[in-house]
Amino acid sequence: MAEVILQNITKSFAGNRALDDISMIVPDGSFVVLLGPTGAGKTTTLRMVSGLDTPDYGEVFIGGRSMRGLTPAQRNVAMVFQQYSLYPHLSVRQNLEFPLKSPLLRTPQRIIDEKVNAVAETLQISHKLDNKATALSGGEMQRVSIGRALVRNPQIYLMDEPLSSLDAKLRSDLRIELKNIQAKSGATLLYVTHDQIEAMTMATHVGVLHEGKVVQFGSPREIYEQPISIYAATRLGQPRINVLPADLFPAAPANAKSIGLRPEHIHQGEGQNATVMRVEHLGDQTRLHLSFKTHNLITVTDAHTEFKGGETVKIQPRKPLYFDAAGMRLV
Amino acid sequence: MLQFPIDRIASATPPAIAARVKGLSDRAIAWLFVAPSIVLLLAINIFPLIWTIRLSFTNFRVNRPNAQIEFVGLRNYINILTDRDIWLSMQATAHFLIWTIVLQVLIGFSLAYLINKKFRGNDLWTTIIVLPMMLSPAVVGNFWTFLYQPQIGLFNYVVGFLTGSDPSSFSMIASTSLAPWAIIIVDTWMWTPFVMLICLAGLRSIPPSIYEAAECDRASKWRQFWTITIPLVLPFLMLAVLFRGIENFKMFDLVVQLTGGGPGSITELTSINLKRAAFEQWRTGYASAYAVILFVTVFGLASIYVKALNKVKKR
Repeated sequence: MAEVILQNITKSFAGNRALDDISMIVPDGSFVVLLGPTGAGKTTTLRMVSGLDTPDYGEVFIGGRSMRGLTPAQRNVAMVFQQYSLYPHLSVRQNLEFPLKSPLLRTPQRIIDEKVNAVAETLQISHKLDNKATALSGGEMQRVSIGRALVRNPQIYLMDEPLSSLDAKLRSDLRIELKNIQAKSGATLLYVTHDQIEAMTMATHVGVLHEGKVVQFGSPREIYEQPISIYAATRLGQPRINVLPADLFPAAPANAKSIGLRPEHIHQGEGQNATVMRVEHLGDQTRLHLSFKTHNLITVTDAHTEFKGGETVKIQPRKPLYFDAAGMRLV
Repeated sequence: MLQFPIDRIASATPPAIAARVKGLSDRAIAWLFVAPSIVLLLAINIFPLIWTIRLSFTNFRVNRPNAQIEFVGLRNYINILTDRDIWLSMQATAHFLIWTIVLQVLIGFSLAYLINKKFRGNDLWTTIIVLPMMLSPAVVGNFWTFLYQPQIGLFNYVVGFLTGSDPSSFSMIASTSLAPWAIIIVDTWMWTPFVMLICLAGLRSIPPSIYEAAECDRASKWRQFWTITIPLVLPFLMLAVLFRGIENFKMFDLVVQLTGGGPGSITELTSINLKRAAFEQWRTGYASAYAVILFVTVFGLASIYVKALNKVKKR
């Protein structure tokens, strides 16, 4: 495992700038999640590190060595592709063995079997080992694809939305499992997703990407509590942060244009009147959809609340975030 | 009545055909549509086949329609299978078949592999390579008789130029040792593009991301070729071999134009042999038996082959 450094990476495809001066340090043994919507440059960043694509400018360092001109094989990276990319004519077992069967490695068959069985166990695909790779469901294919990376011991694991096509239960299981594997083995992971729950639960560091730029890089907590812009603030948190005009509430700084309120930062019982539009009982918590001076906002309240639609509730911001006209945070 | 969008959609959907055409079930209508094809198939394929089998047991001659037809049992079959000339003809066909397939697969796959690389003008090259396939076999045969001409032929000139021998010292068509190769070369020239196209379809069906995955899994180009490219193209390649095999088993036009079966009967493939028996010697019953033997051979070989092909596909 190794530290990975991206230095001023810039890449254009047919005139479109996909990556714009990306610099980032992925510390050894960290779990870095790249977060952003489609087209933000997440996958392209992964491909730069893997060596499947080469940057127009800038350089990638893995373990202190420049990767300029090196192939993916020479870089020793393992990648999980979003579209699985399994070898369709091979069985699940043969797919998992493939990276270990490199003639260079000369891994004994006994060790290959051990590793494959262990990984299959973890990913709950032991019973499918002799299936053909094409005779699997989408979720199973994705697990095989993750397994094919996990059997190896690379410099860094690169994962491109590896949990996106799994059902909710398996996804949360594997989230924990991946985090465990990473924590136990001290593996370095660069992980792409647009799912903020994955980012919050697994990441040691989150890089928020926007149109080919790194907007903010830090721990998930840091980005959640101290976002540098409205964009970064909306990337994390479910329900999303409420963004309202700053002058709706008193005590806004002079140059504030917007106020950002996390659902849990709307204090109930004091302040100005808002109307309850809808009450969502989720079991462990209850969400209130409020209408406040023609603006909609969402807050959370006690699980056993007595609120009903149409009632009036007093609200007041607590720990608000203020943003200027450009959407940047005012500190 | 209150109309929901779903009601509008439902009312816009036509009722089942069977509900409109009284007295006809959907199944009956399906048969109605298939019937013309089945009738045609019976009339021009199945009936002649059965008729041929019947004729193969007689001494019928189509140029003597009024002669008494005698049933001769298996005599035609015995005569054919004990005829040395016919076995030579079968050997010539096998020689032609095996070499054309080997050459066309090797060259066709190599061309497809090269064309599949991204380079400028590969579409143009594909078109140029595919041209021979679009010509009429009669025309191709005719052209190549000129190319093979010892005094003025381009082929002889090029061979002479490359080997330093005298171009007019050999004749591809008139020499008994070279004539079988003359037809193999022309068939390969004409039909390699076909094999190439099918291989190209196979190569293009492999998603590039699989190679990317293999690249990350540290498989060398060599290993990628043998463990990904070849297994994934193999079903396509086998299909091409099937097509070429069946086509070349009944090869006629090119060879008639080029060598006419000669010199002597060195290049007299079974189909030419059969045509002589049927339409030059007018031994219709005998020729029918010959045709049945060829049919069973092709059908048998093709069935075994298709089984193997399906196994490869399922693997």
